[in-house]
Amino acid sequence: MCKMLLIGVLCLFVQHFRGRKNRCYSLAVRAVRRAFVYASKARKAKRRNMRTLWISRIAAATREHGMKYPALVHNLLKCSVQLNRRVLCDLSITEPRSFHALTALARARQQEGLRAALGDGTEPPGVFSRITQLQ
Amino acid sequence: MAMTLNKGNLTGILRVFQTAGTCLTQSTPARCLVPTLACRQNSSSVTNPASFVPHTSLSRPPWPELPAFDPEDQEKKHGAVVQKVNGLIQSGEYGRLFAVVQFAGRQWKVTNEDLILIENHIDVECGAGIRLEKVLLVGGNDFTLIGKPLLGGDLVRVQATVIEKTESWPMVHMRFWKRHRFQKKKIIIQPQTVLRINTIDILPRLT
Repeated sequence: MCKMLLIGVLCLFVQHFRGRKNRCYSLAVRAVRRAFVYASKARKAKRRNMRTLWISRIAAATREHGMKYPALVHNLLKCSVQLNRRVLCDLSITEPRSFHALTALARARQQEGLRAALGDGTEPPGVFSRITQLQ
Repeated sequence: MAMTLNKGNLTGILRVFQTAGTCLTQSTPARCLVPTLACRQNSSSVTNPASFVPHTSLSRPPWPELPAFDPEDQEKKHGAVVQKVNGLIQSGEYGRLFAVVQFAGRQWKVTNEDLILIENHIDVECGAGIRLEKVLLVGGNDFTLIGKPLLGGDLVRVQATVIEKTESWPMVHMRFWKRHRFQKKKIIIQPQTVLRINTIDILPRLT
């Protein structure tokens, strides 16, 4: 009786398999075990794959606006804008103007940082640099 | 004109140079070709300005040239933008608003009449209203408000109701190592809640 129930439960999982795996008990048990293991591993891998997909989409969208993905992310973090990659990807697809605004914000912060680092454009006194300034 | 230097072509080359008016020896036709052509080109060349420096690895700094920056001009532009956005908000010409909301450890891009499935249990009864407070971004037709990192509660209001509280389908978590007699099977049923986003409001007060 219990064995019949188990076989019945197994049959639910096995109906779309190919060959004797969907008819013969021993083969079906092994196939279902592999299917469960693959599903468990794939649920973990899905999160990683989705993140790489989001990152590549955001990179493509930022390059359309003349910037690069690391620059965008770093400068948005410096502006304390804590949008995650999933939402940035959605915005780049469905809200192009908002994404353009975000890239403009990141570019402004990048240029502000570069200006602050350059300072006056002069070398400290007594320092000889390889960078030759146009006289 | 690309011609190979062999006996058959040599006489042809010599005839060309003689017509150009220069006297040549048979051994060096190629060397004398260059000064004639160079002289011809320089007579009609463009003169470069005195400040021109040819592009080498040290002629420019390795960082990109930044555009000219005027702080007062920037302030004026920012003020104009803020005024325009304030006007749009006051007159209510923003159409359908969307918001990015942080809830249950995830960020959701949300509009009116949206359904959200959350993979955990919330201690709220079905049919009760919820206000989602952590709003990161709000956008309309012509403007977006970006929070650093959050927008204030007196600026945006996102209201939702809990529609149903269910459980997910039974997911099988299985681990198996072959030839080691190791297998573990666990059935995971996650509690789920479904939220319906009712309204997103912008309150007309921006500084």
